[in-house]
Formats: sequence, structure tokens, C-alpha cells
Amino acid sequence: MKRTHIILIVLIAVLIGAMIGAINDSSSYADFAEAFENPGQEFHVVGQLSKEKEMSYDPMENADLFAFWMVDNSGVERQVHLHKSKPQDFERSEQIVLIGSVEGDAFHANDILLKCPSKYTDGEVQVKEQA
Amino acid sequence: MEYVGEHLWAGTLGEAFVYLAFSAGVLSAVSYFLAERHDSTEWKKLGRFSFIAHTIGVLGMVSMLFFMIFNQYFEYHYIWQHSSSDLPLRFIFSCFWEGIEGSFMLWMLWHVILAGILLKTVKSWESPVMAVYMLVQVFLGSMILGVSILGYKLGSNPFSVLMREHPDFASLPIFQIPEYTSVLDGRGLNPLLQNYWMTIHPPIVFLGFASTLIPFTYAIAGLWRRAYVEWVKPALPWTFFGVGILGTGILMGGAWAYEALSFGGFWAWDPVENASLVPWLTLVGAGHLMLIQRSKGVSVLSLFIFTCVSLILVQYSSFLTKSGILGETSVHSFTDLGMTGHLALCLIALVVLSVGLIISRYKEFPNAEKEESIWSREFWMFIGALILLISAFQIGYSTSFPVINKIFGTELATPSNVHEYYNRWQLPLAIIVALFVSVGQFLKYKSTDPKTLIKKLSVSLSLSIVLTLVFALSLEISNAFILGLTFTSSFAVLANLDYLLRILNGNLKKGGSSIAHVGFGLVLLGAVISTSQQEVISENTSLFDVTKLDDGFTNTENILLMKDDTLLMGTYFVSYRGKKKEGHFIHYQVDYLAQNSEGELDSVFSLFPFIQLNPRMGNVAEPYTKHYLDRDVYTYIAYAEIEDRKSEEKGSSHEIEVGDTIFSRSSFIVLDSLNRFPNREGSNLREKDMALGASFSVYDVNTEKHLMEPLFVIRDRRLTFSVPDSVRSAGIKVFFDGIDPEKQKFKFRLLEQDDAKKEFIVMKAIVFPYINILWLGCILMALGSFLAVFNRIRKK
Repeated sequence: MKRTHIILIVLIAVLIGAMIGAINDSSSYADFAEAFENPGQEFHVVGQLSKEKEMSYDPMENADLFAFWMVDNSGVERQVHLHKSKPQDFERSEQIVLIGSVEGDAFHANDILLKCPSKYTDGEVQVKEQA
Repeated sequence: MEYVGEHLWAGTLGEAFVYLAFSAGVLSAVSYFLAERHDSTEWKKLGRFSFIAHTIGVLGMVSMLFFMIFNQYFEYHYIWQHSSSDLPLRFIFSCFWEGIEGSFMLWMLWHVILAGILLKTVKSWESPVMAVYMLVQVFLGSMILGVSILGYKLGSNPFSVLMREHPDFASLPIFQIPEYTSVLDGRGLNPLLQNYWMTIHPPIVFLGFASTLIPFTYAIAGLWRRAYVEWVKPALPWTFFGVGILGTGILMGGAWAYEALSFGGFWAWDPVENASLVPWLTLVGAGHLMLIQRSKGVSVLSLFIFTCVSLILVQYSSFLTKSGILGETSVHSFTDLGMTGHLALCLIALVVLSVGLIISRYKEFPNAEKEESIWSREFWMFIGALILLISAFQIGYSTSFPVINKIFGTELATPSNVHEYYNRWQLPLAIIVALFVSVGQFLKYKSTDPKTLIKKLSVSLSLSIVLTLVFALSLEISNAFILGLTFTSSFAVLANLDYLLRILNGNLKKGGSSIAHVGFGLVLLGAVISTSQQEVISENTSLFDVTKLDDGFTNTENILLMKDDTLLMGTYFVSYRGKKKEGHFIHYQVDYLAQNSEGELDSVFSLFPFIQLNPRMGNVAEPYTKHYLDRDVYTYIAYAEIEDRKSEEKGSSHEIEVGDTIFSRSSFIVLDSLNRFPNREGSNLREKDMALGASFSVYDVNTEKHLMEPLFVIRDRRLTFSVPDSVRSAGIKVFFDGIDPEKQKFKFRLLEQDDAKKEFIVMKAIVFPYINILWLGCILMALGSFLAVFNRIRKK
């Protein structure tokens, strides 16, 4: 067997290892129902902010705790504890991706991705200020 | 309706240039194809002629788009979307390439410019190289065509979309006015992108992308002509040109993120960053395989794979960012313009072309005569290229999760700790790569004597052990992998420096690759030290009890600063002094103080992190950094209330006698006595003013006693006013408002500061040690690459 072949076999083995490793280490998207069935396991949950429910952020007490309610894409509403400071312009977010796990009766997020309305509001244009 | 003041001629002309560029591009590609097929000089001439026509088209459309942005023709959707009348002129370039259409045009422009240089050097390879080159250029051109074929809209043409015809706006009343152009203003450039990085970063990245096309065209031409080895020599300098430019572009993106975005570092493993890093890794592999190919017929197959994969990955990266598929995983991908299918199709076409040709020609590839020796440079360079491939694979695979999810319906996602996730693979791989970079130059082609090798390396090896120990002890590095990379990257720096000085005698002409390798080593060293040993100094030192939280959720990395309070943070004391609004920005002044020998606090420096008010994209915090030679102190606002607080002080009036007590929310205030000769210093009183002081003892929550003495002042016998006094720790301020001589009572007004209403910021501060090593490395890597390319071209 030539050395090239050995190298090739090792390479393929490592690549497969990288693939399996990546899947093992990866997190996955889920809804609240699945996350609450598997407490302690990390999930990404996509949803929207429940605007009528209370949001609480009291930096005097803890600058790294922000609590709010989110409705996931299946319509389940749960309380979320974000262990970070309250993101800028949070109320305007269109979509939220939480990364974290369930502990007790709340979803504890370590990280959050917000999608803000990057698109202009339809049917609105700017008019030059008249000098 | 007749519209007045529109510049429809400009759009028509622009469109004409787009169509010219596309059709001349097709003609050129076909002509060059036939020229190669039939070995015909006639077809070749036509190919060249239509390339010139194509160039005119590209230059024309680029000039027209600039012209329209410059003259603010907001009746065009692209101009409206990306610029506005109040935009400073220096951002005009950023407007140009902010959108997908503009970035394709920039890319095509670079292709045309590079092709101009290529045509001077390509000689006998012209027909096959240019046929492939123009094919890719046609793919890009089709993205901005904007014509409907069988109901499918092919590409998006910036010249053909008018605001008044755009479905989102057409019904607006403003477009019922014939003179609407005189009042319509643009939406403007996203304020996030209004900085100089946006002017220089995209052109460099796109030049890097464009330069990967040339090695690819040579590779395909080599397969086509069955000249499996000969294509390598002309492709080599272009490959390293691409390595230098793309590398600079990627690191510049890192510098942008570090300087102007609050990612908390220069690399966030964001999918868009990854998407440009992956082709760079394979391009580096391709370049090094070309080097060994020239000296000895090493596996041709691997060379074709690396070269083709690099270009395909560049196209894939464009697919990822422009199709909108990254949507929820990346902060800076474009929104979907409905081109996903089109982009995917072009990508698949390139894959099919490369894979098809490689498979059909595989049997004819020349075999390497014999195995390389274990002690040869080529053997280890080959292994090094494979390591780069593994590294690229792991990053590329993880970045592709959204694509994999879409195709297979899976729900994969990268975990919240992306750094740990990627570093698990990338750290060991980087250790090996850095080791190869150190030893590589000292290995000879064919065979090296192990004893002389060890002798030559002994100096740099022992020096790097010392350096690693210094870093390890001074920064308290304990992780084995971090130590490993610190060692191998120091070794890479020192060994290549040694090679440059002792073996090349400091000859800079020949030393391009050594300098680039020193730079690469410094980049790794700076990156590993500054990120692994970064220290979040803003840990919460305020009263909050972290044990209240559940275990595992004690990431108190942000500090709460009340206005004018001073808190200990790391080795500094910090104090928030206030904010100032300027245009789109609110600047927050944070003073960093240190204790001097007398125990007093001296200001060391002030930082002004700011929040950009951005009604379109949401408000964004931008950091402010104090640079030292050996470290950076990086600060940004994690949270602040944007609206100004009204004075939320609670006021209450009290009429009391001497000896009485006023109770505030958090203190007792006892009127001890009245003072006819109060201390008037610092109160701005005139000499003739009559002043009466009220001496109070204030006991705060800690039952500590403070004295204060507000004054009641009579000026010119008529005017009365109070000079108030306050006790900050109790959050109170007392005004002496009057005297009731009959009842022997005194009137006071008490202001209590509601703590919860005081102005504050929540900020994060990180110290990055030795991050300047990284930036120095970037510069050396770029300089070294260009020196090497220049030297190679000159030798020819």
C-alpha cells in the first residue's frame, strides 16, 4: 500500500470525524414544547415577543437579567430569562432567536439574535425638507 | 400622466450598458470557446473584440450608477434605497456597493480590470482561459440583467426599477404629482455602514474574490487542453496575489468588527466572515501545492481539486450572503431579492463543469514517479495543504447548517458558545499548521538531512520556548492547546525571521515568503493570546448578589454605573460622567481613574463609547477603545436608556423648629442650630449679602453622620434665595426657603433623589492583551505576499 493511499484514508477518516463531531456538538432548532421536554439541553427557539406581557429589566438589581415572554412559531407562550443586558431597541424586533435551555418553568437564554425590520415600512417615502 | 423632472435617459443608458455587457460577454465567451475548439484566430479576434465591447459595457454601467448616485436621481429605487440628499459625499462609494446589484457590479468591474492585465500575460493560453473567464463573468452579469423570461425575472437591474413603478410605492399619493422628483428624498445609507471601513473593505474583498477566478480558469484550461502541468506556472503568481488580497480583506473585516461593532472582539465566527475565510484557506492550500508541483510532479489531482474548490467556495460564499438563506443566523447578510434559485444554478454549473472535467480526464493524469521522502519539503507541504482542507471543511460545513437544514429538513444550529465549538477543531489544526510553517522553509526539496535540520532550527526553537514561557507566566496561560499554539506560532515567527536573516542574509527580494510567514505566525500568536487571555474587567462589583441566580447563569459581565458614581473595575476605577447627543450619536463619557501614591484618584483616560440611533436597523452600540502598545481597553455600552429622564426628584416642604427631625426615605435630617456666620465659600455670594445657615446632621442608611448647611440669603434687602446643600450618599438636597419670625419656624424644601430614577449606563469592558501583534502580523502578511508575487513576476 502506497503512502498516498494511507494519507487519503486518514484524511477521509478525519473529514468524517469532523462531520460527526460537528453534528454531535451542534445545537438544534426546536419549539418551546420540545425544549421543555428536554430541560438542560441547549436549543435554538424562534419566535416573537409577546408585546402585551410584562417585560422586566432592572439593572439596579441585576444588569445581566432581562425577563420577557415570547410566543414560539407553534404559538406556545413562555417566559424567557435572558442572561444578558436588555438588547437595544428590543421592542421593535420582528423576530427573535433564543439560544439556551430550560430550567424550572422558564427558558434561560445565554444569547439572543434579533431581526429588526431592516426593510422600510411599506408605503413610506421621505420628502426633502424645504429650504 | 406626464412626469416632470425625471431623468429617464440615465436609466435607459444604464440599462443599455448592462445589456451590452451581458451580450458582449456571451459573445466573447462563445467566440473564445470556438477559437479553442477549432484553433481559429478569427474566432479569437472576435472574442477579444467582444471582450472590449464587454469592458465598455461594464465601465459604462459603473459610471452611470455613480453618476446617478452623485446627482441624486431618487426616482430610481436603487438610488433611493441607498443614498439620500443629506449624505456626505465621502460615502458615495459605500452607497454604490451597499446593495446586491452594486456589489455584483463592483465584482464585475474587478474582473474586467484583472482581465485587462491577464490579457497582457496570458499568451498562448488566451482562448481557453478567457472562455472560462467570460463564462463566469456572464453568470455575474445575468444577476443584474433584470429581464423576464417565461415569467421568471432574471436578476435585478438597478437601472430599470423606478420608484413610481415599484409595487411597494406605486400607489402612494406623492406619485400622483407630476413634479414629485423635486420633493422625493432617498431613504439613505444605513447609518451602520456610514464609516470609512465600508469604503475600503468591500472593494478589497471583491478584488480578492475576483483574483481567485484566474487560477480557476487556468486549471480548467489545463484540463481542457490536457496540459495537466503546464498551466501551473502562469497561475501561480495570481494565486498568491489572491491569497494576499483576500487575506487582507478578511482581516480588515475583523478590524472593522473590532473597531466599530460591539461584537466583543475581532472575530465572531459569523457565517459571513466564515464564508470568506473558507475559500482563503483552500486558496492557500492551492498556492502551496502549485509550488511543489513546479519542483516535482506531485499529485495533479489534488492541485485541480484545491484550485477549483477555491473558486467554487467563493461563489458559494456569494450564494450564502446574497440568497438570504443565512437570514436568522447572521447579522450582516443581505435580504432575499428572490435570486436564490438563480445563484444556486450558477453555482451548480461551475461544480458540474469542474467535477465533470476532472473525472473525465482523471485517467490521463501523470503519475508521480515515486513516493516523496518523509524528509522532503513537498511531503510536508502536501500534508499541510490537507490540514488546511480539513480546517476549511469544518468551518464550511458548520456555516452551511442553514443550507443543510433547507435541503434535508434537519434543524441543525451552531451552539451559543461558537468560539468553543470552532476552537475544538481549529485550535489543534492551527497548532499543526503553525508548526509546518516554522519548519517548512528549512526543509529541502527531495530530501533533508535531519541532523542539519535540527541544528538549524535549534536557535529559534529554544527562543520560542523562552517566549512561550514568558507569555505563559505573565498572562497565566494554563490551557494546553492555548500554550501549544502560543508555542508553535512563536516558533513560526522566529524560525522564519531566522531564515530571512541568516539564510537569505536579509535579502528582502527573496524574502517575500519568509515575511508573509512571519506575518502569519504573528496573526496566529496575536489572535490566540488576545482572545484566550482577554479579561472582562467589567464584572459586576455593585451590590447585586449573584447567588440569587441559578447555577450556570452567573455571567455578570456588565457593570452598572450610576452617573458620577465611581466603582472599582479591574485595576481601574471608572466613573460615568454624562452623555452628549450629536446628530445620530449619543456619546457617553466614561472616565478611567487610578489611585496615585497619595491614594487619590487621578484620571488616566476617558473613553467615549456611543450609541448610534438608527431608526431603520435598530439602535446600535459602538465601542471605544484605548490603545496601548501591549494591550487595548475596549468599552461599549451594553444598555442605556435613550430617552432623557425628566428630573424625577421628589420635593417636600417642611416647617420645623431647631431640634426637629425631617425623615426622608433613607435618612434622618436633624436641624441642630442656626448659624449667623455660615461658611460662604464656594457659594458665589456677594459681600453685602446677608446669609443665615441651617446646620443639619444627616444620618444615612448606614447611620453614618454627615453635616450640611444650606443658606438662606437676603440680597439688597429684597431678594431672597437659598443656597442649597446636599448629602450625596443619602441622595438628598435641602433648600432653606424662609423664616416665619412669629412662630420661630423655618421653612425647608427637601429634594430626594429617587435612586431607581437616576441616570445610569450598563457597560462592558474587556482588556485584550497584545492585540497589536495581530495587526502587525496582518501588515507583514500582506506586504510579504505582494513582495513574493512581485519578485516572481519580475523574474519572468
